[in-house]
Amino acid sequence: MFRLKDSINYLVAFLIILAVNFFLPRLMPGDPLAAIYGEEALIHLTPETRSELINRFALDQPLGEQFWGYLSALVKGDLGYSYYYNDAVSAVISRAFPWTMLLVGTAITISALAGSIAGMESGWRRGKWTDRFLLTGIMFLEGFPDFFIGMVMLIVFGVVLNIFPLAGAMTPYAGYTGLAMALDIVKHLILPAFSLALVNLGGSFLLARNTMVTTLGEAYIFTARAKGLRDRVVRYRHAGRNSLFPVITHIGIQFGRMVTGALFIETVFSYPGLGLLIQRGLQARDYPVLQGVFLVVTIMVLVTNLFMEVLYKKIDPRLKPCISTTGKKLRQTV
Amino acid sequence: MLSLINLSVKYGNNLILNDASLTLHRGESLVLIGESGTGKTTLAKSIIGLGDGQCSGEIRYRGQNLLLMTGEEMARIRWNRIAMVFQNVESALNPLFNILEQVAEPMIEHGLLSPREARSKAGDMLKRVGLSTAHFLSYPHQLSGGQKQRALIAMAMANNPEVLILDEPTSALDPVTKKEIIELLREIGKKCALLVVTHDLAAASSLAERTAVLYGGRIVETGPTGALLSDPRHPYTRGLIRSYPDMNGTKDLQGIPGRLSRPEGGCPFEPRCTQRVGICRESHPELGEAGSAPGQTGGRMIACHRGGIVPLLETRGLSTAFGPVRALNRADLTVFEGETIALVGESGSGKSTLARTVMGLHRQSEGEIYLEEALVRKRDKDFYSKVQMIYQNPAESISHRQNVLEAVSEPMDIHRMGSPAEKKEKVKRVLDEVELPSDDEFLMAYPHHLSGGEAQRVAIARALILEPKMLIADEPTSALDPSVQAKVLRLFLNLQEKRGLSIIFITHDIALARKVSDRIVVLKDGHIIEDGPTSAVISFPGHPYTRRLLAAAPALQCGLSNGFPAYNEKCLSI
Repeated sequence: MFRLKDSINYLVAFLIILAVNFFLPRLMPGDPLAAIYGEEALIHLTPETRSELINRFALDQPLGEQFWGYLSALVKGDLGYSYYYNDAVSAVISRAFPWTMLLVGTAITISALAGSIAGMESGWRRGKWTDRFLLTGIMFLEGFPDFFIGMVMLIVFGVVLNIFPLAGAMTPYAGYTGLAMALDIVKHLILPAFSLALVNLGGSFLLARNTMVTTLGEAYIFTARAKGLRDRVVRYRHAGRNSLFPVITHIGIQFGRMVTGALFIETVFSYPGLGLLIQRGLQARDYPVLQGVFLVVTIMVLVTNLFMEVLYKKIDPRLKPCISTTGKKLRQTV
Repeated sequence: MLSLINLSVKYGNNLILNDASLTLHRGESLVLIGESGTGKTTLAKSIIGLGDGQCSGEIRYRGQNLLLMTGEEMARIRWNRIAMVFQNVESALNPLFNILEQVAEPMIEHGLLSPREARSKAGDMLKRVGLSTAHFLSYPHQLSGGQKQRALIAMAMANNPEVLILDEPTSALDPVTKKEIIELLREIGKKCALLVVTHDLAAASSLAERTAVLYGGRIVETGPTGALLSDPRHPYTRGLIRSYPDMNGTKDLQGIPGRLSRPEGGCPFEPRCTQRVGICRESHPELGEAGSAPGQTGGRMIACHRGGIVPLLETRGLSTAFGPVRALNRADLTVFEGETIALVGESGSGKSTLARTVMGLHRQSEGEIYLEEALVRKRDKDFYSKVQMIYQNPAESISHRQNVLEAVSEPMDIHRMGSPAEKKEKVKRVLDEVELPSDDEFLMAYPHHLSGGEAQRVAIARALILEPKMLIADEPTSALDPSVQAKVLRLFLNLQEKRGLSIIFITHDIALARKVSDRIVVLKDGHIIEDGPTSAVISFPGHPYTRRLLAAAPALQCGLSNGFPAYNEKCLSI
C-alpha cells in the first residue's frame, strides 16, 4: 500500500532537514561553539570542557566528518547537552514530549470532531438560524488570541469557580497512582486542551461547512436523497464523508503547527510541554534544547504527513491502487 | 397511475413550470422533449420531491397527492415506487463507495433485505444491466460513462420501482453506447413505466410510445411518438425537429427564431411563433384534442390557439384547361404555414400551370382554392399581399425602365401604402434582408446594371416587401450559377425560419428540392402522382416516374453512387 517511492521521498526530506539543522549554526560567523551554546555558556566553560566539546562535536575535523559525527550521535539518540538543565537534551525533550502530545492530541481531537460535526450540520442547514448562530459564534471565538482565551478560562474556571487546577500537568509529589493519577492528569489537561481546541475550532468548522455546502450541490447527493435514504444517512454517509477531506488536510497541517503553537497556552498554564521548553530555552539561550525541539517538531510534521497520506488512501478509493477481490488488477486512473 | 395536474413550480418570481398536466399510465413509456431551460428537469425532480421551487397543483400517484406528503412518507415512495436516474452521469455516483454498495444501499436502508442478501441482489442487478463481475467492486472513477450509466440504472431498479424517471439518460454517451443503453431501457420499459426527459429526438423516437413536448413550462403537444415526430402539429415541435440532425432528413437544419422567454400571460411560444395572432398574446391556450388527419390514430393533444400549424393554402380538385388540353388535372395540394413544398416534374408536367392558376394568371376550370381556410373567390389586393410570386428569369421580370427603388416599392404604390420616405426606408430594410446593398447608388441602378444573382434578389425583395405569408418561386435559381444559387436558397431558408414563410418551390432539379423542401410533390401530365415528406420520397419513391426523375438527378460522379473514390479505398480496407 505504501510504496517504496514514497518512503524514499520521506527519507530525503528527513535528511535535508537534518542537514539544515546541522549546518545552520555552523554557517554562522564566529565560533561554532558560541553559535551552538551561546556566548553566555561559553564564558563559564573551563578549557577542559571546551576541548572536550570540540572533540565531541569533532570541530577540529572537516565539515563532512563533522556531519557524519552528528549523524552517528543522532542514531545513538544523542542530541547534545543542555547546560541550563544540566542534562542530556534528549532526556529533557523526552520528559516534555509526552505532555505536548497529550495536550495537542486532545485539543486537535476535540477541535476536529466538534468543528467538523458543527460544520457539517451548519452546512446542511445553510441560512437557517442554527447555521447563523454557529457561524457567528465560532468566528467570534476564532478572533481571540489563544493565550487570551487561556487566561479567561484560567480566571473563570480556575480562580473564580475553582474547579480546575491553575498550573502544571499533574499535582507534584501527590503520590497518586493508577486511576487517581489518570484523573489528576485529566483535570490538569481540561483547561489548556479546551482553550487550544476552542481557538482552533474555526478552521475545521469553516472547511467542513464550506465543503458540505458545495458537496450538497453534487448530483450524487440528489441521487442519495432520491433513494429515499434517511436524512442522517445522506448527511453523514454521503455528504459528510466527502466533505471530510479538506478537514483532514487541515488537521495534518495544524498538528505540526500546534506542537509549537501550544507555546502560549503551555506558558499560560505552565504546562511542561515542548512549548514551555522553547520558551525557557529562548529565555536562557539554551540552544541545544531549542535545536533538539526543532528537530523533534520537524520529525513530527513529517510523521503527520505520512500518516495523513496513509489515511487518505484508506478513506478515498480514488487514491488507492485498485485490486478487486478477484485479484485481477484493474485499470488504474489517477 | 402517475399524473400531474396543473403542476406549477416557481423559483422566486420565476415561473418554471406553468400548469403542466401529464399522465403516465402503468407500464407506459413517455418521453418529455424540449430545449434546455423549458423546465424538463424541474418537472422530473418535482415528481420525486427534490425540486427546490415552490410547487402548486397536484402530483397524483395512485390517488395520493405527493405534494402533500410528509418527508417520511415521501422517503418511503422514493426508490420503492418511483426511482430516478439523474442527468449528470459523471457525478451521480458517490465517489467514495463501490457500485455494488451503492446499488445495495437503498435495499438495505429501506429495510427490504439484509445487507448480505442486498449485496447479492445488487450483484444480480448489475449483471442484468450488462456489467461484468470484475466491475462490481469498482469505484465510479474506474468506470466509463456507459458503465456508470448502467450502474445508475441498476441502482434505480434495485427496489423494483413502478415508475422510473430518467433525466437525459443518453446525452453524455457516444452513439454506440447510447444505442446499447437505449436497448437496455427498452428492456426495462417492459417491466415498469418510464418517464424519459431528453432533448435527443432519436432517443425519444426509439424509447417511448408517447411523447410530450414541453415549452416555456407548459406542455404544448402530446401524442404517439411516431405520429408526433413525423407530423408535428405545434410550430415549436416542428422547429425542434427541424433543428435536429437526423440521418434520414435531407433538408438543411433550421433553427427557431428568437430565444426562450416566459411571457406572463399568453402562449409561451408566442414571441417566437411565426403564425401568432392577437389572442396568442392575451391568453394561453389549453391543451386540447387536435383534429387528427385521416389515417392517424388520434390521441394527439395540442395547446395552440390556431389549432396547430395552419394550412395556409389549399387547392381542392384544381384543374386548368387550355382548350381541350387539361394542363392541370384535379390537383389537391395543402401547404402549411412555414413549409416548403417542392413541385417537381419534367417540363410540361403542369408545375408552372399550377402556380399560375393559384396566382390567378390562368383561369381555373374546376376546383377551389382556399387561403388561410377561406375560399378564394377573387384575387384582390388582399390576396396578393399574402401570396407573391418570383419568376424564373429575373432580368425579364423586372421592368427595364424601373430602377431598384421603383421596382421594389411598386407593390406598395399599388397598395397605396406609406409616404415616399417611409417607402424608401422599407425598401432599404427589405434589401438588407435579402443581403443587397441599400445605398442610394444601388437604389438608382437599373436591371441591366445588375448581375443575375442581384436581379433575382431584387425580385425577391419586391415579393417580400408586402410581407406575404406565401411565396411561389418558379425555378427561381435555374438562371443562376451554383454559388449564387446556394446563397439565394440559404436566403429562402432563413426567411422561412424568421417569418414562417411558406414556399412553393418549383424546380425540375430534384437534388435541389431535396435540400430545401419539407415535402416533395411530383407532377406528371397535370396529375399529382406523389406527395410525401422529402426524405421518404427520396428514399422510397413510390411511383416509377419519381424513380426515373431520381435516377436522372444530378450527382457528382465521384460521389457515393460509384463507390468510394480511389483514395478512400485504402482507409476502407483496413
